[in-house]
Amino acid sequence: MNKSNFRPWYMIPYMIWIAFFVIAPIVLIFYYSFFDITGAFTWTNYVDFFKSTYLILTINSFWYAFLITFFTLLIAYPTAYFITKTKHKQLWLLLVIVPSWINLLLKTYAFIGIMGLHGPINAFITALGFDQQQILFTDFSFVFVAVYIFIPFMILPIFNALDQLNPSYLDAAKDLGASGWTTFRKVIWPLTLNGVKSGVQVVFIPALSLFMITRLIAGNKVITLGTAIEQQFLVTQNWGMGSTIAVFLIIFMFIIMRLTATKEIGGKKHDKVK
Amino acid sequence: MTKPIIRFEHVSMNYNDSKLILDDISFELEEGKFYTLLGPSGCGKTTILRLIAGFMEPTQGDIYFDGELVNNIPANERQVNTVFQDYALFPHLNVFENVAFGLRIKKVNNKEVTERVLEALKFVSLAGFENREITEMSGGQRQRVAIARAIVNDPKVILLDEPLSALDLKLRSEMQYELRELQQRLGKTFVFVTHDQEEALAMSDEIFVMNEGKIQQSGTPLDIYDEPINRFVADFIGESNIVEGRMVRDYLVEFNGKQFECVDGGVKPNEKVDIIIRPEDLVITTQGAGMIDVEVDTQLFRGVHYELSTYDADGNEWLVHSTKKAEVGETIGLHFDPEDVHVMRLNETEEAFDIRMEAYGGAEDE
Amino acid sequence: MTKLSKGPKIYLAFVFLILYLPIFYLIFYSFNSGGKMSHFESFTWEHYAAVFEDTRLLVIVLNTIIIALFSALISTTIGTLGALSIYFMKNKKARETVLSLNNILIVSPDVIIGASFLILFTMLGVKLGFASVLISHAAFSIPIVVIMILPKLFEMNTSLIDAALDLGATRKDVLKRVILPYIQPGIFAGFFLALTYSLDDFAVTFFVTGNGFSTLSVEIYSMARTGVTLTINALSAILFVVTILLVVGYYFISKRSKTSIAGVKR
Repeated sequence: MNKSNFRPWYMIPYMIWIAFFVIAPIVLIFYYSFFDITGAFTWTNYVDFFKSTYLILTINSFWYAFLITFFTLLIAYPTAYFITKTKHKQLWLLLVIVPSWINLLLKTYAFIGIMGLHGPINAFITALGFDQQQILFTDFSFVFVAVYIFIPFMILPIFNALDQLNPSYLDAAKDLGASGWTTFRKVIWPLTLNGVKSGVQVVFIPALSLFMITRLIAGNKVITLGTAIEQQFLVTQNWGMGSTIAVFLIIFMFIIMRLTATKEIGGKKHDKVK
Repeated sequence: MTKPIIRFEHVSMNYNDSKLILDDISFELEEGKFYTLLGPSGCGKTTILRLIAGFMEPTQGDIYFDGELVNNIPANERQVNTVFQDYALFPHLNVFENVAFGLRIKKVNNKEVTERVLEALKFVSLAGFENREITEMSGGQRQRVAIARAIVNDPKVILLDEPLSALDLKLRSEMQYELRELQQRLGKTFVFVTHDQEEALAMSDEIFVMNEGKIQQSGTPLDIYDEPINRFVADFIGESNIVEGRMVRDYLVEFNGKQFECVDGGVKPNEKVDIIIRPEDLVITTQGAGMIDVEVDTQLFRGVHYELSTYDADGNEWLVHSTKKAEVGETIGLHFDPEDVHVMRLNETEEAFDIRMEAYGGAEDE
Repeated sequence: MTKLSKGPKIYLAFVFLILYLPIFYLIFYSFNSGGKMSHFESFTWEHYAAVFEDTRLLVIVLNTIIIALFSALISTTIGTLGALSIYFMKNKKARETVLSLNNILIVSPDVIIGASFLILFTMLGVKLGFASVLISHAAFSIPIVVIMILPKLFEMNTSLIDAALDLGATRKDVLKRVILPYIQPGIFAGFFLALTYSLDDFAVTFFVTGNGFSTLSVEIYSMARTGVTLTINALSAILFVVTILLVVGYYFISKRSKTSIAGVKR
């Protein structure tokens, strides 16, 4: 192989990047988690984490992340499925992606207007004869906006999985007597599970650590691990505690990645990359 | 006489109102026979298969299955199973569950599923492989799993869409024997699609040669090989020497400026015809001793025989298969018998062809 | 293709309506002469004029663009070198390790990246501001560039390199004349993605930006919490149009690159 003959000088910038921006930050987070606000070594951050406030926060985070992921998947899967059936599917897919190219803050900001007391939703509600509703600063608004933000990221991997599905599998299932629903349950869903898993991965982990939407839409409450970290680092200036929460978030992240690790169905892809 | 299991009546098919895929096709398939749809890619053979399977509805015409009109019956409600070209074995299920797929859908009880799947696997000589993953199976084994998955449902007709095309040459000829033998043991109707004429000749009870959405000729392998109806069939099945000629009268034909005896008749005198002579029917003799003289241009050793490319005085090429050797540049004589000369009328329909064959016989009556 | 029946069509229409609702809502009120995002009074361009009069806002927009362009350039360069490094690694284990290290930043939540970078910059004594934001953006875009380029490298037929060497090319020639042209579509895609990641980033910037320096996301965040003028709406509308133009540009580049890849394959 001639591959080995290339000199490794050009590896240097990339390796520096790995050292400084991948390894060092994680090490530093671990390191800082053992210091209190005055800079003295301590275990108390870890002890504190297992006290009720942070445990409830963690459970809350997981609950919200679960809800967000669930509803995102519920909306994204049929959307991806129907898009693969359209004539110009690549164009429709592009149209799904376009909103995700618009600055996140702008979209969130728009929802503040839409859901506000004088916004169109409340105008609609009052027009129907009901009283004005406080939509903003509720759990519903938080989950709704988060789902909105994540939908394109869920649609993409599922669309790809569906699009790569060999149509002769569907013919085969039909040929063997399966109805549309059975084909979906027994063939399409299991064969696109990898796409679903990647989608869950790219939604669940960020959903655990949301803080901007929480602040703006859910009304400045500290309800997720993300908000807690931001609070500790930028408001309380307690980097030690912030790092400790971050350590747990990193651990959760690895667990989730393990759980959603995609198994190669059929192992065909391995042949390509020798 | 067995009853027809599948009947096509004036079936036409076109996509998006543009290209005609099938052009007014009618035929009957009898129960328990091995049929082959043979033709180049794009001739419409796979479309016929998909129509029988129920993946498509014909644009025009009717399809009958076991005497019932099935135009609008979807694939999952037909007693037909398909062995797909790429096998379409579900990668997320192991061998057992792949074969069991159809039975599970019919909610057959577990005990019976196990029995029938194991039996089907035994039938295709894959006993003991039930717990393997599909990825662990070789091409030939996957092929058999696909067949087992089809036969386990006890369908009346099994459709095979070029199932051997992904296999290497040796395996392919092995599978030809196996498939043929399997069909005879099962006694079911097989409809086999291929573009490989050797495969078709080796396996079929009856061959439908197709081109451009039409059935060109149907018949037993021997019929089709010996009496091709037109230039296309002659060219597609086996190798042939085709020259233009003129019918002098019954049993006498003229080509290469000479008149030759033949066994065909029923053609108007002086009508232009195509003459075909198979390369293996040409026998090498010395110059002047045969019917025509040719000069040897090239010679290839093909294992069982020599393949000679020769040219006559008019510049027509004559391909000769011979166990005897010749010298390049040498002029040799070629001998053939009257029954080796096959006369084809231009644009003759299959019906007219069949009637003429009935009346005048041909190679069949030997 | 089977045609979609009515139900799915309505469903898709509904999803797309929701997806675009906030964007068009913003743009709609950017023309409102009343000062709020409710009660549309009459049509006006005044908020657009205000965008171009607000020098502070313009500086922030400029900052955002400069950061995006420079960070994309830096990350594309280092990312390309990184992809080549991974491709030419002989040891399979080492390659997989580096690849998983590469992917850590892609899956890491923004908060963690922001917090850890904040610690890093404080430790190294980097002053928070333009430099820290630029470095952070380049840093979190590098793995994305690598991911965009690697598949192109792996789908490249290795005999292309052998053929070039066989024809007398030096290793430098091989890189310049064979590999780089081949992976060019991946490099472009990586650059565009880095650009959008940078433009879109809020969380990381929020952590590592100091007092004096602000990007658009951070600015909107602070405004959204205190009270907003329709100037932001007008700005959103302008940004939307620019984004659409970028998307269309990206679409055509990727489309062209697709055909060129097919050309190579043939």
